Amino acid sequence: MTFRARLLLGFGAVVLVPLTVFGLRIRAVMADRLTAEYQQRVAALVWVIRADLDQRSRGIALRLAALRDAIAQDNRFRSAVLQGGERTYLLDYAGDAMRVAGLSLLQIQDETGRIVSSGHFRNEYDQSDPALPRLLAAAPAGTALVEARGAEAPFLALARVDSLRLGGRRLTLVGGIAVDSTFLARLTPDSELTVAVRLPPDTTSGTDPATQVVNAVAVPFVTAGDSARLVPARIVVSHSLASLVALRRGVAVSFLVAVLVTGLIALLLASWLSTRISRPLTALAAKTADVDMDRLDVAFDSDRSDEIGALSRLLGAMTERLRAGAARLREAERRLAMGDLARQVNHDIKNGLIPIRNVFRHLGQAAGESPDRLAAAFRDRQATVESSISYLENLASNYARLYPQPARESCDVNAVVRETISRISNTGQAELRLELADGLAPARTDALVLRRILDNLIGNAVDSLAARAGRVTVSTGVSGEGGVRITVSDTGTGMTKEELNRAFDDFYTTKLGGTGLGLSIVRRLVLDANGALRVETEPGAGSRFIVELPGEGA
Amino acid sequence: MIPQRRSVIFVGLVAAACRAGAPRAELPLPPPSPTPGDTTCTIAVGRAAARDTVRFAVTDPVDLKHAPLPRNDAERLVFGQLYESLIRVDCQGRALPGLAAAWEQAPEDRWAFTLRESARFWDGAPVTARDVLASWRSRDATLAASLTVTGDRSFTIPASAAPFQRLGDQALAVTKPAPGGGWPIGTGRYWMTSGDPASPDVLVMQPMARTGQPVVTVAAMPASAARDALDGEAGVLMTDDPAALEYARTLSGYVDLPLEWNRTYVLLAPGRDKPVLGDLRLESLREAVHGDARPAEWSGPGRFWFADLQACGIPTGRDTLGTAGRRRRIVYNQGDRSTADLAARLVGLGALGRGAVAASVPATAFESSLRAGTDAAYVVELRRRVYDVCRAARELPPWISSATIEPLLDIRSHAVVRRGLPRMTLDWDGTLRLAPP
Repeated sequence: MTFRARLLLGFGAVVLVPLTVFGLRIRAVMADRLTAEYQQRVAALVWVIRADLDQRSRGIALRLAALRDAIAQDNRFRSAVLQGGERTYLLDYAGDAMRVAGLSLLQIQDETGRIVSSGHFRNEYDQSDPALPRLLAAAPAGTALVEARGAEAPFLALARVDSLRLGGRRLTLVGGIAVDSTFLARLTPDSELTVAVRLPPDTTSGTDPATQVVNAVAVPFVTAGDSARLVPARIVVSHSLASLVALRRGVAVSFLVAVLVTGLIALLLASWLSTRISRPLTALAAKTADVDMDRLDVAFDSDRSDEIGALSRLLGAMTERLRAGAARLREAERRLAMGDLARQVNHDIKNGLIPIRNVFRHLGQAAGESPDRLAAAFRDRQATVESSISYLENLASNYARLYPQPARESCDVNAVVRETISRISNTGQAELRLELADGLAPARTDALVLRRILDNLIGNAVDSLAARAGRVTVSTGVSGEGGVRITVSDTGTGMTKEELNRAFDDFYTTKLGGTGLGLSIVRRLVLDANGALRVETEPGAGSRFIVELPGEGA
Repeated sequence: MIPQRRSVIFVGLVAAACRAGAPRAELPLPPPSPTPGDTTCTIAVGRAAARDTVRFAVTDPVDLKHAPLPRNDAERLVFGQLYESLIRVDCQGRALPGLAAAWEQAPEDRWAFTLRESARFWDGAPVTARDVLASWRSRDATLAASLTVTGDRSFTIPASAAPFQRLGDQALAVTKPAPGGGWPIGTGRYWMTSGDPASPDVLVMQPMARTGQPVVTVAAMPASAARDALDGEAGVLMTDDPAALEYARTLSGYVDLPLEWNRTYVLLAPGRDKPVLGDLRLESLREAVHGDARPAEWSGPGRFWFADLQACGIPTGRDTLGTAGRRRRIVYNQGDRSTADLAARLVGLGALGRGAVAASVPATAFESSLRAGTDAAYVVELRRRVYDVCRAARELPPWISSATIEPLLDIRSHAVVRRGLPRMTLDWDGTLRLAPP
């Protein structure tokens, strides 16, 4: 994983994890507090409903008492009940009285339970319902919910019972107020609170604690029908948690957006930061990759005052030390080469001087022992001396060619190749082939140096044929960015790996009479010309020397 | 006090006479016309005083779209002044000249009619036999097809085309359309004006004759305002509101005239093959309604006209919905308080079993609800007297042949008549008309 990726992940984790934990915690705390508040509100409303029911019960009782007194004073009513007169007045009485008293239910029964007048259901007269007043009287606090019959539909009412005596007859008044949606709506000042009446047998339906906060007020209920009885009902107060769920969802969405935005910002920041950090490191790594023994001029300058600047300066110092070490190494190598050269020169000169010294000893011995034979001896040994001198002259000439001073100038490579080949081909030792690129740009090198390079390479190639039939091919072409490539290949003996490893050492040769300096000189000339030299060889198949020289624009 | 007592006695005699002679479901062939001076079907309260205007007050709505066939007592009172059919049938069931001045038996068992020479439409055009033909074509095409025009004012119809007394049916009143879609142009003694812009709710009827007859105004009002009409010196108040009637009895200037038992409330239960009311105590129904009511009874010969409809060829339909498929509701017309009271009482008595309820349907939708027959029972008002039983039967819901019809109550309205009002006549179908001077 890259440093940049690690930085991005780390930054994201550092920012997002605390934010997520914070958001989840906020949600949980908010839900707990709101739920507790809802429970308090529901409990408060339950208390209010209890008080309200008590107050309404007292109100019903007061109205029934007033009606009871009014009935006792009403002679038409008395006459209708006791003497059977004005039946219509009696039947309509409860309806009028109910409306005047502000009740929703009013039923007047005689002592047998027969309905003599009904306000909420005028035409249920003469029906019998004795259980209703009896059960109402038995209800706690004298109040109960009643399912009252109506012509259009039954309805629920909060009812009480009262009674009076009229001419020796006992009449019962059942009065109440409707417990309908309006009644329940008045109990719920808050739209989020819901008040509902749950009647037996299913008093728990519609209450889901998972989605709402629930509390209830127990109220007695008189069931309808022939088997009327008093059973518990409940006025259920519930507070929907839908708003809380919506709030939590809103908070979650807000937090999610915040997390996404923060995460995006963090990623952008981390990306910017990592780029700022990793870019100089990457550049430093690229520079470091360029460093090798042949190229220690890579600059690690930096004006940064941070760790990267320090690292850059350390690498610069290290490169400087490497440069110094390489210089010392080259000097040592040079000195070693010079020692080898000196020993070689010493050896070669000695080899050249030994015959001369022997000739002079012979001449000295002849002059001392028989002066008349001195001339004959000289003539006899003159060729040896001349040969040794020639050898020494050749030796000096060879050593003189070790360190030419090349010039940097435009050089027509194809022309130099043709000139060199024409000169070498005159020997008639091998088949020489030219494959020269048309319109080849000139190289920037010394033509003499190039000629020496070609002399050595082509000469070696011809020599590698070892008098066998073979072919030497010289080709030119474009190399890299405007450079020139010269390839000298042969079908000669080729080189083993060991031979290749030492091929460029000074004085290493596998040829009879070779100096062992040809390829060494070629390597130095190519490097001095800022070029490159590669060798591809295979024993028995031949070798291929590739010289790449910088172009005119380099 | 003595004149007042005489008037009440006289009216009581009139009413008793009408009740005695009228209760027949179907009319016989034309009886002899009453002799001139017969006041059996005349209503007069005190000595008639000359008046420029007579005010009618009604507690039912009057809708011109119903003209000339009335749908309630108010429309019957109004349309009775505006439109004429060929004959009138008085409260005794006797045929009287109407638009036709005379009739006689013609060859080939036909009746030959001669129109009144002075008969004019409101626009002054004389009424011809072709006008009768054109008017009937839109009401009873079969009857119109049987009519043969024999002269400008004479025509014949087969005696078998319709019961003779049906020619007095307001449904066969001769009218022609009014330009612009207003009140149909009739031939009655009064014509309907465009009214008084200052009182748009009051209809104003002008007499066709230039002298001798008062202008008639008609004010429709809710029952709760009926007493205000009496205080406003209305000439005639048609109502069944008990509070208004009770109040009228306290006013010396008015006489309460109970009219005929002209409506019967029935319970229609589609798809039932046995009585739905069973053992219920129906005598207590009378106390359920607030108007003048009595347990439904047919005191004359035969039965209620709706008791046997198979004679009219009403096919016995198949009940596809079934009793279980109907809602257990007793449905009534929201605009009729008596039907509401009756439905409530039936529920109170336990009709259709426990859990059944009464359900009101707006007046505008009641007709379609009734025809659908998707409820267990309907409380419906039917006319006690019809000129043509089979025609009336065809106006009942299509499922009537497979339904149970339980008569519940007879209802009647009252005419509270101001003393000194011009004489009025009472027809067989309960129509009150101002008599000519």
